[in-house]
Amino acid sequence: MRKILILALREFNTAVRTRSFIIGLVIAPVLMFGSIFAINIFKDKVNIDDKKIVVIDHTGLLAQSLIEAAEMRNRNEIFDTETKEQVKPAYLFEIATPDTVNPFQQKLELSDKIRNKKLHAFIEIGPDVIHPGENAEASKIKYYSENSLMDDIRGWINNPLNNRIRQLRITELNLDAAQVQNLFHWHNAEGLGLVSNDAKTGNIEEAKESSVVETIFIPYFLLMLMFMIVLLSAVPLLSAVMEEKIERIAEVLLGSVTPFQFLMGKVLGGISISLAGSAIYLIGGAVLATRTGYVDSLPWHVIPWFIVYMLLNVVMIGSIMAALGSACNDNKDAQSLQFPAMLPIILPMFLMMPVIQDPLSSFSTGLSLFPLFTPMLMILRLASPVTIPLWQPFAGLAGVILFTVLFVWLGGKIFRTFILLQGKRPSLPNLIRYAFRK
Amino acid sequence: MNAIEISQVTKTFGQLKAVNNLSLAVPQGSIYGFIGPNGSGKTTTIRMIMNILYPDAGTIKIMGQTISGSRLEGVGYLPEERGLYKKMKVKELLQFHGQLKNGQHISKEITYWLEKFELTAWTNKKVETLSKGMSQKIQFIATIIDRPKIIILDEPFSGLDPVNAEIIKSAILELQSQGSTIIFSTHDMHMAQRMCDYIFMIYKGEKVLDGTPTSIQDKYGTDTLHLQTEMGAKALTGIEGIDKVNDYGQMQEVRIKQGADTQQILAALLNKTRITKFEITKPSLHDIFIRIARPEIKEEPQHA
Repeated sequence: MRKILILALREFNTAVRTRSFIIGLVIAPVLMFGSIFAINIFKDKVNIDDKKIVVIDHTGLLAQSLIEAAEMRNRNEIFDTETKEQVKPAYLFEIATPDTVNPFQQKLELSDKIRNKKLHAFIEIGPDVIHPGENAEASKIKYYSENSLMDDIRGWINNPLNNRIRQLRITELNLDAAQVQNLFHWHNAEGLGLVSNDAKTGNIEEAKESSVVETIFIPYFLLMLMFMIVLLSAVPLLSAVMEEKIERIAEVLLGSVTPFQFLMGKVLGGISISLAGSAIYLIGGAVLATRTGYVDSLPWHVIPWFIVYMLLNVVMIGSIMAALGSACNDNKDAQSLQFPAMLPIILPMFLMMPVIQDPLSSFSTGLSLFPLFTPMLMILRLASPVTIPLWQPFAGLAGVILFTVLFVWLGGKIFRTFILLQGKRPSLPNLIRYAFRK
Repeated sequence: MNAIEISQVTKTFGQLKAVNNLSLAVPQGSIYGFIGPNGSGKTTTIRMIMNILYPDAGTIKIMGQTISGSRLEGVGYLPEERGLYKKMKVKELLQFHGQLKNGQHISKEITYWLEKFELTAWTNKKVETLSKGMSQKIQFIATIIDRPKIIILDEPFSGLDPVNAEIIKSAILELQSQGSTIIFSTHDMHMAQRMCDYIFMIYKGEKVLDGTPTSIQDKYGTDTLHLQTEMGAKALTGIEGIDKVNDYGQMQEVRIKQGADTQQILAALLNKTRITKFEITKPSLHDIFIRIARPEIKEEPQHA
């Protein structure tokens, strides 16, 4: 064990000095959280140039509502309430008479104005918008701009236009506007968790409002964290072992340690890197959650599971990476083996969304009990707001332990044979042959 | 008690029998030279002694103990193909190897050996800045940093200039004088002949020679002449009783046929040229090596 620790310590010291570790551990979260801060900082720093929009109103009844709504908005909503500085652009609508003879020519000219930055957008209101008929095209409101899908104004015009259309219809029907308004009162269901008993006081507590942070962000964060930790600590073992083989360091070490001690030293080094990495990330995440007021949303009960699963995942993937590294003779070999060996951490990333959407489905349960995916997908499920039956993380753990032991055993056999073999290609038949050889 | 005892050891790789039924006893405190052509089984034997490769049959004992799954303590090993962590500093690297070998007084040993090998100025330099010769000396120090009782060196002199080879040689002798048993493989027959108490030659996986250099030479008798003449090798042309000639330019090493009369050869030469040296001697280890490994290694062109 002493020799394994010495090897692991060297591995740790070497890894933490590498550029990839520093980039992965420090720069990645800085970029990740930095981008969130950047979005917050820059969200109000929008272009405040006036947005000129031309309206071709075939009904002749709706365009004015846009002008009036825009005037109100430009007076009340585009200035900072405290500093009185303009923080949003003003919307300036202009009515254009529809060209009934050559409508496409008119739209082309307006489009060119947009291309030449003289105009922001133009809107075409179909003649049958108030009373949609069989002609679907004539019943549409069309918004033309260079990036209409992401254009805020496209969403903004809906309210004033639909309110005006509704008003016109009510007037036509001679109805009482106040009574009719009631008809259109819309409700949204509020998302809540479950009612519970306070453990201390025994009082029944109202359920908390479900948030995106609890439902998506935290499980996603833990999944990403495990992915990054394995990427930082286990995956580099392939190239580290390969380099030691190519540079003939391996046999020098084998004069002092057994191949199994060599392999375990590497894997334990990976574990120490993963613990250091996860400690930094988890503490950073907790600090961030405290600062942003989400500390109550953190699933503390998941942390022990996370640590256990992460360590087993690092040992499982690390053993295989080190074994494959021992089989490689050059970077070409390493490239061809690294991707398949990374699938147990890549595939769960692709399977993340259906599991987050329904953590209790048979699909999610089944996948999270497959030992190669268990560490990542079980954590995803455990971190979600739903209650996972207790037997499932334990059953998953048993499977992962079994696979970890199997992978360490197979990895050890591959490693022992390949570490001194030069020039033998690490083909699948060769790997299988040496893994199961007596 | 012998330091190492190999009994009827066999190792096969696929169809190739790398080592066949090999037995060998290495006495404590001796220097044992392993010689043999490339691919004859030297490195495989050494790797089996080091428990890096497992024999298919037979047993290997180190200090009377049959080797098991654990790595050997008190055995220093310098493999033929060796490398160092290039990004580590010299002292850091030697400390790492010393700790791995559970060495005592590592810092003191590092200082001693670096000074002896004239590398003190490189103590805190990265390995990647060292020359090849310096790296080899560091590799040697890493092997013996814990002053092991048994030291196994696979081609320790390969690639070294004479000055560095001399430094390594004196270190080996120093370690032997302090009680270490040393095994080294080499292609340098002169070094082996001068340094080794015993020599073992393996050829095609089988032991072909084993004993002291003198006893090995005695087996071949006095069938060799060392000659220096004014005419050089040309003087030997047409002389009866000559089997082979190794022409070194300034001198010739001549193997005579069995039963040939050296006095008749001397007389024949005197008729042709002036002789400055005529020595009847035992064959050198180099010559014995070539005689055994003849199919693998081409001899010098024959002049006789």
